[in-house]
Amino acid sequence: MAGNARTFMLGALIVAGLLVPFFVEDTYIRHLFIVAFIYGIVAASWDLSLGYAGIFNFGHIAFFGIGVYVTGLAAKLIGIDPWLAMLIGGFAASAAAVLVALPVVRLQGVYVVLVTFAFSQLVLQLVISQSAVTGGTQGMVRVPTIELFGHNFLRDYKFGYYYVAFALLIVSAACLRRLAHSDFGLSIQALRDNEDYGVSRGISVGLQRLKVLVASAFFAGLAGGFYVIYLRVASPEVFDFSVVSLVLSMVLIGGTASIYGPIFAALGLTFVSEGLANVEGLAEGRFILVAVAMVAVLLFLPKGLASLLPVLRRLYGRVASARRQR
Amino acid sequence: MSDPANALEVDGLRAGYDMSDVLLGMSLHVGPQERVGLFGPNGHGKTTLLNTISKVIAPHAGRVLFMGEAIDGLPPQQIVARGLIHVAQANRLFPDMQIMEILELAAFTPRAQADRKANLDYVLGLFPRLAERRRQQCKTLSGGERQMLSIGVGLMCAPRMLMLDEPTLGLSPKLKDELAEAIAEISGRGIPLLLVEQDIAFILSLVDRMYLVDHGEISREIRRGGEVDHQEIMNMYFGADGAR
Amino acid sequence: MTADTISAILVSGIVLGSIYALMASGLSLVWTTLGIFNFAHGALMTLAAYVAWTVSDGAGLGWGLSAGIAVSIAALIGAGILMERLVVRPFYDHRDILLITVMTTLAATIFLEKGIQLLWGARLKQLAPIWPGKVELFRTAISGQEMLIIIVAPVLLGALAFFLRTTRIGRGIRAVGQNPDAARLIGIDVSRLFIITFAMSAVLAGLTGILLGSVRLVTPEFGAEPLVKALIIVIFGGLGSLTGTILAAYLMGLVEAALTFFIGIYWAPSMIFLLLIIVLLLRPQGLLGKVVR
Repeated sequence: MAGNARTFMLGALIVAGLLVPFFVEDTYIRHLFIVAFIYGIVAASWDLSLGYAGIFNFGHIAFFGIGVYVTGLAAKLIGIDPWLAMLIGGFAASAAAVLVALPVVRLQGVYVVLVTFAFSQLVLQLVISQSAVTGGTQGMVRVPTIELFGHNFLRDYKFGYYYVAFALLIVSAACLRRLAHSDFGLSIQALRDNEDYGVSRGISVGLQRLKVLVASAFFAGLAGGFYVIYLRVASPEVFDFSVVSLVLSMVLIGGTASIYGPIFAALGLTFVSEGLANVEGLAEGRFILVAVAMVAVLLFLPKGLASLLPVLRRLYGRVASARRQR
Repeated sequence: MSDPANALEVDGLRAGYDMSDVLLGMSLHVGPQERVGLFGPNGHGKTTLLNTISKVIAPHAGRVLFMGEAIDGLPPQQIVARGLIHVAQANRLFPDMQIMEILELAAFTPRAQADRKANLDYVLGLFPRLAERRRQQCKTLSGGERQMLSIGVGLMCAPRMLMLDEPTLGLSPKLKDELAEAIAEISGRGIPLLLVEQDIAFILSLVDRMYLVDHGEISREIRRGGEVDHQEIMNMYFGADGAR
Repeated sequence: MTADTISAILVSGIVLGSIYALMASGLSLVWTTLGIFNFAHGALMTLAAYVAWTVSDGAGLGWGLSAGIAVSIAALIGAGILMERLVVRPFYDHRDILLITVMTTLAATIFLEKGIQLLWGARLKQLAPIWPGKVELFRTAISGQEMLIIIVAPVLLGALAFFLRTTRIGRGIRAVGQNPDAARLIGIDVSRLFIITFAMSAVLAGLTGILLGSVRLVTPEFGAEPLVKALIIVIFGGLGSLTGTILAAYLMGLVEAALTFFIGIYWAPSMIFLLLIIVLLLRPQGLLGKVVR
C-alpha cells in the first residue's frame, strides 16, 4: 500500500478506535475491545521476538504473567500507585527477559523452544508455590485500580479503561513498529535469515537477541500490568495452554510480516472466542474450536504463515543439522 | 520402442525439485543383463534421474518400466520390494547402528528376508573389511568402508537390478580398483546395472553401453567400441556455447 | 541423616524415577524417530486414566480393572494413530514441521483436555490400584502400586530397548530416526513406522496414566505436570538418546526426592527448573545427547 494511503488508513483506524465508545455503550462489548487490545499488545510484541528475530520464544506468555503478578503485588501489597505499578510490571518482565536471554542466546533451534518453555513453567511454579503472597491457585483479588484526576474508572462502564487500553495499544504498536523498522530491527532480521553473515558483518548475536527479548518482554509485561489493574484479579490461568494457543494463533494468523497483523488477528480472535463463550454449552468447548481452527489454519492457510517460513526454515535448518549429527 | 525384456525403461521423464525441472524428458533403457553407464557433469540430472526412478522424488511426466511393469506410480518401498535397488550417492546410512545391524536390517522386504543368510555371506565374502568390523558403528567408518557398506546394503535388498550413484566418489585409486572388481563381480552374477559416474575411465572399464547426460536429457549413446568424442565431453563440461 | 532417611529418599527417588522414565520414554521415542515434540503426550495420559476409570469403576461401566486397562490401552493405540494422521502426518514434508507440530499437538492437548472436561466433568476421579495395600522396601513403607511401578517400569523399558535393538521393526524404527531417506531406499515404509512409533508412544503414555491414576487424583489437567517433567527429562538426558532419557529420569527422581526432603515441597519444583536451565547453560546437549553445532 502506498505510503500516503497507508498513513490515511491508519489514521482512519485510530479515529475509528477513538470513536468506538460513543457508539458502543454495552459494557460487555467494551470489555471485549479492552481484552482484544491487551492481547493485541502481547501478540504484537511476541511477533517481534518470534517473527522478526526468529527466536522461538515459548515463554512470552510468562512475561505477560510476570507483568500481571508483579503489578498486582506492587499495587496491592506494597501500595504503589497502579500507574507506576504497571510500568514496574513491564520492567520486571524485561528483567526476566534478561534471565531467559542468557541460555537462549547460546542455544540453537529446538533448545530455545524447550528452555523458554521450561522458563514459563518455572514462573508458573513460583507463582503457585508462593501462595501466601500470590494466592497460589486461587489467585489474587481486590487489586487496586488506576485513578486519573479524580475520574472514577469503576463507575463509568469501562469508558475510561477503554481509552487507557487503546492508548497503550497505540503507544506499544508505534514503539514496536519503530523498533522493527529501525536499524536494530533490520539487524535482527538479518540475523534471523543468515546468522553467520550477520556475525561476519559485526552484528553481535547475543546482544541483539537480548535486546529483542527485553523489548518484547517489556510490552508484554506492560499489557499484563494493565490486565491486572483492569480486572483487579490475578490468577495462574494466565499461564494456561489455552491462552498460549490463543495468542500464538493471533501471531500466526496475523502473519509475522508486520506488527499490525497480530493486532488485527487479536481483535478478530478475541471477538470470535468470547462470542462463542456465550453460545450455549460452548464456554469450555470454544477452546476446542480454537484448537481445531488453529490446526485448520496451519493446514489450509499457509499463506497466513508465509512470512513465518523463512524464519522457520532457518530454525529447521538448525534442527536438521542437529539431527544429522545425532 | 518398448521391449518387455528390458530390465529398465525410462521414457520422456521430467522431474525436478521445487519449481524447476532438472530432467527435461529423459529416455533410456537397460537390457536384461546389461551394464549401462551414465556420464555427465554435475547438476545435469544424473542423480535426479536415479532419485526419480526410485521415487525419492516424484516425476512430473513420463514413464518408468521395471521388468516390463510400470513403477512410476509406486511408492519407494514397493519399488525396492520388486528388486530395483538404488545405492545413493555419499549415503550417510545409519550413523548409530553397527555394520552387522545395518546389513541385517537391509534385508527388510519379505523377498530380501528370504535370501538373507545367503546374501549376508556373499556380502561379507565380497567385502572382508566389513566382516572384520561388523560390530563397529557406522559413523566411525572411513569413506571407503562406508561405500562398501552402501553397496553391501544394496545387495542385502536382494536386487534384481542395481542403480549405483557415483560409488567411487572421493575414493583413492586403490579403493576404486577394489570397488570396480566388486561391482564387476556382482554384475557377473547376472544383475543388470545402471552406473552413474564422473570417472570416465572407471565407467568405460565396467559398462557395455554409456549414455551422456546433458542438461537433463540424453545427448548421446555410446556403445562398447564406439568412439568417445572427447571434444563433445569437453564441450559439456566447459560449455562450448556459453554458460549453462 | 539416619539410614532410614537415606533409605526413604532412595526409595522415593526410585519410585519417582520409574514414573518419570515411563513418562519420558514415549516422548523420547517420538522425538528420536519423527523429530517432533508431542505436546499432547500428557493429555494422552489423562485420556488413558479416564477411559480406564470409566470402564472399571462402579460409577462407570463397572467391568473391573483388567477390562479397564485393556480398553484403555486399545483406546490409546487408536488415539495415537488418529493423532499422527491428523496433526503430524499432514506436515511431514513441511520444512517447518517442528514448529508446526508444537502448535498442532498443543491444539490437540486443548482438544483432549477440554473434551474430557466436557464429557466427564471436572470432578476428581481416582483409579483403583492394581496392587492395593502397603509394602515395605528397604524399611520404607510405600504403597503396593508404587512397588508395582518400580517393577513394571524397568521391565517395560527393558522390553522396549530389546525390541528396538533386535527386532526388524525395532531396528527399522531406529533407522528411520537416523536417516529416513536411506530407510526408504532399503524398502522401509517410513509412514507406517511413524504410525507404529506414535502408537507405541501413546501406549507408553497410557500405561503411565493408568499407573499414576491410582496414586494421584485424576482431573482433566492430570497430564499437564507429567508432560512438563517428561520434557525436562528428555532435554536433560540429551535429545536423541533413549538411554539418556531413562538415565536422566532416574537421576531426576532421586534429585527431586532429595530436594523435597531438604527444601520442602514448595521450593523443590522451582529449583528443579532452575537446575535444568543451569545444566543447559553448561552442557546444552544434556547427559548423553550429541553435541549440537
